[in-house]
Amino acid sequence: MPEQSDDSLIRATLAGDDGAFAQIVTRYKRRVFSLALRFTQDRDELDDICQEVFIKAYDNLKKFRREAPFEHWITKIATRVCYDALRSQRHGNNQVTGERTLEVQDHAADARNNAREARELLAWALAQLKPDERLVITLMELEEKSVKETVDLTGWSESNVKVRAHRARQALKRILEVDHGR
Amino acid sequence: MADSADKKLGRLFAAARAEQADASALEVHFETRLMARIAERKTLNSSWFLLAWRMVPAFAVIALISAVCSAAFSPSRSGDLFASITNGYEDVVATSYLAGECDE
Repeated sequence: MPEQSDDSLIRATLAGDDGAFAQIVTRYKRRVFSLALRFTQDRDELDDICQEVFIKAYDNLKKFRREAPFEHWITKIATRVCYDALRSQRHGNNQVTGERTLEVQDHAADARNNAREARELLAWALAQLKPDERLVITLMELEEKSVKETVDLTGWSESNVKVRAHRARQALKRILEVDHGR
Repeated sequence: MADSADKKLGRLFAAARAEQADASALEVHFETRLMARIAERKTLNSSWFLLAWRMVPAFAVIALISAVCSAAFSPSRSGDLFASITNGYEDVVATSYLAGECDE
């Protein structure tokens, strides 16, 4: 059986066929999970974020204009939901960040060359950033998006994205220098 | 100094890019969980909608009763527009006269 196009699955969903939407989810869940994983390692929160992304897509499917591919549209929604999650983490999770800081700092000195430790160190350093800085640096450095793509995904102006990326890099360097000094 | 910080940051980014954490266990049956949540939301929405429709006759009866009550207990109004205007005007003139604001 030939694979249905995104367009026909969207039309079927809009006509009331939820099975068609399930196929869309199957097609794009890997993309959404991989982006959300850049922002949280907590399994429950990850599942919540991904569900939120697809529920928003389902609710707003009528507004999808087909000017860009569906993948781009769903990535944009995922970016927005991840940003909202970052902001709520910032308000509610300071205690957890602090505990993680101590744990990583204890092991950082003897394990810098280890790739896993490097990733943990970066995750810890990223957690210290403001949500907007973290979002920009994650999209540009980890997801390897260009400034233009980041502008498109976040809806911020080009100069805003550049300024936030610069600030995020400076802040990360300061955080890592302080960590190295200990 | 700044150069070494840049290099260090570059190495950390490269390490993070090189290997993505695995979420395949969470992806299993994700569609089922999601579609169940969507169906649940639909049921909830439609039950509110149904409840609102079922309440329509009750609201209509309340509106009817309040209309009847207001018609029954409010003072009768004159159907004559001129009389209603002059009634009001007479009150104003009397008040002005008593307050000494009247010219005549």
